Amino acid sequence: MRDVAARRGAIMRNPAFWGVIAIAALLAINVIKDPSYLSIGYNGETGRLSGNLVDILRAAAPILMIAVGMCLVVATSGIDLSVGSIMVVAGAVSMELLSGMDGSTGNAALTLAVALGIATALGAVNGILVSVVGLQPFISTLVMMLAGRGIAKVITGGQNTTADNDSFAWLANGYVAGIPVVFLLAMAIVALVWLLVRRSALGLMLEAIGMDSRASRLAGVKRRNLQLTVYSVSGLLAGVAGVFATASVMTVDVSRTGYQLELDAILAVVIGGTSLAGGKFSIGGAVIGGLLIATLDKTVVFLGIPASATPAFKAIVIVVLCLLQSERVRSLFRHRRALRAQSQKEAVAA
Amino acid sequence: MRSNARIARAFAAAGALTLALTACGGGDDDTSASGDGGDEVVTVGFVAVGPEGGWRQANEANVQDTFTEEAGFELKYAPATNLDQRSQIDAFTSFVDEGVDVILLSATEGAGWEDSLRRAQEAEIPVILVDRGIEPDDTDLYVTRIAPDNYEVSTSVAEWAVAAFPDGGNYFVLEGPAGVSVVNERNQGWDDAVGSAANLVKIGAQTANWSTEEAKSVFETVLRANNNDIQIVFAQNDEMGLGAAIAVEEAGLTPGVDVQIATIDGTKPALEALSEGRLSFVAEYNPLFGETLLDVVGQVLDGEEVEPYIVVPSETFDSPEAATAALPTRKY
Amino acid sequence: MTGAPPIVEMTGISISFPGVKALDAVDFRLFPGEVHTLMGENGAGKSTLIKALTGVYKIDEGQILVAGVERRFGGTADAQAAGIATVYQEVNLCANLSIGENVMLGHEVRGPFGINWKATHRAAAGVLATLGLEQLDLRRPLATLSLAIQQLVAISRAMVTEPKVLILDEPTSSLDANEVANLFTVIRKLRDQGVAILFVTHFLDQVYAISDRITVLRNGGFVGEYPTRELDRTTLISKMIGKDFATLRSLGSERQTHHYEPRGEPLLKAEDLGRKGSSEPTDLELHQGEVLGLAGLLGSGRTELARLLYGADRPDSGTVWLRGKKTDIHNPTAALSHRIAFSSENRRDEGIIRDLTVRENLVLAVQAKRGWFRPLSRKEQDALTRKYLAELNVRPADPERPIKFLSGGNQQKVLLGRWLATEPDLLILDEPTRGIDVGAKAEIQAAVAALAAKGVAVVFISSELEEVVRLSDRIIVMKDHRKLAELENGPHVTAETIVAVIADEGDDEEGDSE
Repeated sequence: MRDVAARRGAIMRNPAFWGVIAIAALLAINVIKDPSYLSIGYNGETGRLSGNLVDILRAAAPILMIAVGMCLVVATSGIDLSVGSIMVVAGAVSMELLSGMDGSTGNAALTLAVALGIATALGAVNGILVSVVGLQPFISTLVMMLAGRGIAKVITGGQNTTADNDSFAWLANGYVAGIPVVFLLAMAIVALVWLLVRRSALGLMLEAIGMDSRASRLAGVKRRNLQLTVYSVSGLLAGVAGVFATASVMTVDVSRTGYQLELDAILAVVIGGTSLAGGKFSIGGAVIGGLLIATLDKTVVFLGIPASATPAFKAIVIVVLCLLQSERVRSLFRHRRALRAQSQKEAVAA
Repeated sequence: MRSNARIARAFAAAGALTLALTACGGGDDDTSASGDGGDEVVTVGFVAVGPEGGWRQANEANVQDTFTEEAGFELKYAPATNLDQRSQIDAFTSFVDEGVDVILLSATEGAGWEDSLRRAQEAEIPVILVDRGIEPDDTDLYVTRIAPDNYEVSTSVAEWAVAAFPDGGNYFVLEGPAGVSVVNERNQGWDDAVGSAANLVKIGAQTANWSTEEAKSVFETVLRANNNDIQIVFAQNDEMGLGAAIAVEEAGLTPGVDVQIATIDGTKPALEALSEGRLSFVAEYNPLFGETLLDVVGQVLDGEEVEPYIVVPSETFDSPEAATAALPTRKY
Repeated sequence: MTGAPPIVEMTGISISFPGVKALDAVDFRLFPGEVHTLMGENGAGKSTLIKALTGVYKIDEGQILVAGVERRFGGTADAQAAGIATVYQEVNLCANLSIGENVMLGHEVRGPFGINWKATHRAAAGVLATLGLEQLDLRRPLATLSLAIQQLVAISRAMVTEPKVLILDEPTSSLDANEVANLFTVIRKLRDQGVAILFVTHFLDQVYAISDRITVLRNGGFVGEYPTRELDRTTLISKMIGKDFATLRSLGSERQTHHYEPRGEPLLKAEDLGRKGSSEPTDLELHQGEVLGLAGLLGSGRTELARLLYGADRPDSGTVWLRGKKTDIHNPTAALSHRIAFSSENRRDEGIIRDLTVRENLVLAVQAKRGWFRPLSRKEQDALTRKYLAELNVRPADPERPIKFLSGGNQQKVLLGRWLATEPDLLILDEPTRGIDVGAKAEIQAAVAALAAKGVAVVFISSELEEVVRLSDRIIVMKDHRKLAELENGPHVTAETIVAVIADEGDDEEGDSE
């Protein structure tokens, strides 16, 4: 009995649990609007699964990428505001290169390599500013956030460049075994990062820096190298997200691609239970956070919420979620319930 | 670097102006630094939108190409940072403080310009609205607005829809960001014209923030929510229309057949898509009105009266053939 | 203390945390005008009892009477409103504010136009005067003051509300003898004004110097309440640890008589090792299997020298030979790879990582030494953890408990385990026994002796001169960031010898410790 209660308490204290509940609640609302919401169709002709859930998974892919990168950065008690801008740079590089080449798979691979290389390099610049120069992460990545979009505009000459390459587009729009490639890739990358972090000692080192950088320095933890690694990985993942986002329409929109997505990434990380103060982090939590944000975006459209009310709707969902995650708010509820129960008992006794 | 040079040039210009004024001595006290001298450089501050899409690109390039040094102008181009109104207001204010001769304003957002415009008025700097209007539309605050008429353009789209679907159909609107004057005007024009055709049913409207990517994501969900039962999409710009076309294709439908998409702007990619049949109707929103603007600026600086609203004529393209014919000469 | 009724009377207080009974039927009485010391090993329940009184923890059973009225406070602020003020071990002040602002924070004098700063400062000056601190400049930013003065400012701040009860939770743990004497003057002044003072400390000398009565706790249980003069030290210690203390005592004398003669090439030799502003160039030799004590007052440069040896701070002069080879130790990573380990005096900020588990804290340095891409398997981690938890008698021996839930002494043992796990040839321990209970202290001393016997060179730093004398083979006496003298230890050397060296050399009495 007690054991069950304790375990339930532990689950309730896990912020990611409330993220799952929120996703379930949103899906339930959609089902109320349309009972067939969750149904997944199979198109024999194209061999694809289709349905709202599949759409959500696809929409989640870019957010998952930047959320996971952000999660690692946040663990070191840093922040990366530049992910949205690195996305647009990767997208601009891709589109600009592809628009001047024929649509071969080789060109797609080459483009991918160049775009991700540049994204990683921009991430490394963040890392150097933070670790070697010693600037505040907020400032360094803010600079990169502003510069990144500028770089993208320079790359495309201010245009929204469009290109054609089926292999490249397949990354975002293709299907393998009926499942969107983009989601498979995203999950594979998440799994890879998870293995890298949790099967090596990287995770422990990152948490140590995030919790107490002085103590970890004296314990021989190499803060600089780790920060450089983490910001580079975040840049690389943002590059992947940028490729996903632009490949889906084969257009880079220099002012909109990745615009303000850093906020979504931060939100996903926090929803997943990683404190912005750094330290303990949860990649699984960030994934749930990312899925929640994608579900929320899709729900807003599915319910046909008027454009002007959309931000308010999203804000309300997220505030309610954060309140539920707060230990204090929950204990307040418990306390009130207990009080009520007690007063009832007393009333009975009297 | 470049801005330093620009500032240096501004100072040089200001110095020259002062010299010229002192040289005039106690002549007539006509204070307007009008362009009738011929040799004098007219400083034009252009509070612009910046990268937003093909249309804006063409429009702003056209303005920049018109107000050249050879034509006797110094154009100060100030694009907004990420479409942020704050950065526009800052640019506007510094133009007023610098004392430019005339300000061209393409506002990213309609509301919130009263104070800035009043400051310009106090400094006796005429303001000409380029393309985008302000809200509330107080014509006392600016000299004139030069733009293609959003209302008329979207009315022409609506008229096409009414004519193309005599038996009616369901339609969906992909809007720009909520609260922008263009969006409101384009909605108004469409609603007024379609309202008369009772058999066209509005399924809904969502913003896709002018973006192809977002439009694709939004419309794929809209199709699902309505079991693909949508016949017409009114996309308020070309980019969103192209995104909708991709969503339609991915849903296994054929754009132009199952779902007809109409867009506004008339950029090259949209006309190409129209000539391929992926879009069904493109209403031009003519960006190339630099010449008109040049005339108006001259008139304003000479103190002539101008109309508060000058409409730039726009074309429409309703068939692949029309698009194919227009493509070779398309500049944007 | 005489016929007056107690101002605080706690009876039968019990508190349980999940899995632990933190307090079990504890009684406690505090009278006006007395200094009452709460004694017990870490984990005995001293802090818990204080938090029970101030309402930070809810009590499960028992009764709290304040001035004869039953009370349950909702927290420190609530307790303060009822006249019970608390000053915690870690100074909780705002470093950027001035002394005056810190003292009056939250109690500023308000006028019709917001805060009346003049009146506020006047009030602050009044409070400081009652404590005999009128010489302090109210406008000086707190950050420029020594920790000791900050501690006094913290007490002044608590006295603003004129409380009847003042709780001082280990206020002396980072003060040197002079500063402690200053603090005691203030405490006596307050006592004479009729304030009831509850004092928590680990220093037996201080207990006997200042307190009127002692309450002893052990493992969350109540052992007894005694007038100080009726309880001698040995009895007190045996009551605290619940067992015979003689065995622990024998350790030191044994080491001191059994003096170690260094032979052969030194493990580490430093010439002119120094850093501008923190450490004058110093020569130093260290041999395998010897304990080198660094003695001196707080701020004499002991810590600074140790940090240079470890590369925690980068030396800007001098040369270091390690095992006869010229070596550049420019950062902790390099030091660890040369088998040098350093345990900082600042356990909280530079030692433990609070939110990591005992196991993670213990393996951190070994893992960092190996690099993150060569992880220790879970099995290896568990084996390492088990080994050192047992060897150093860490309680509770639960590797998966966050280290923040361990008592200070046990945290220190885990840290010692962290450094031992890197298998160092040279271990630098800066104040490893500060602020921990006698039992843990003795165990750590025993571990140091055992290490030296195994051939490890140990640099041992402590403010407790007796401890340095008891453990060291050689003692370097430091003052004003330089080496004053080097003593071969032996039966003739005592704490007084060292004090004499320091006193002879200089004429400074004020002690500009920062």
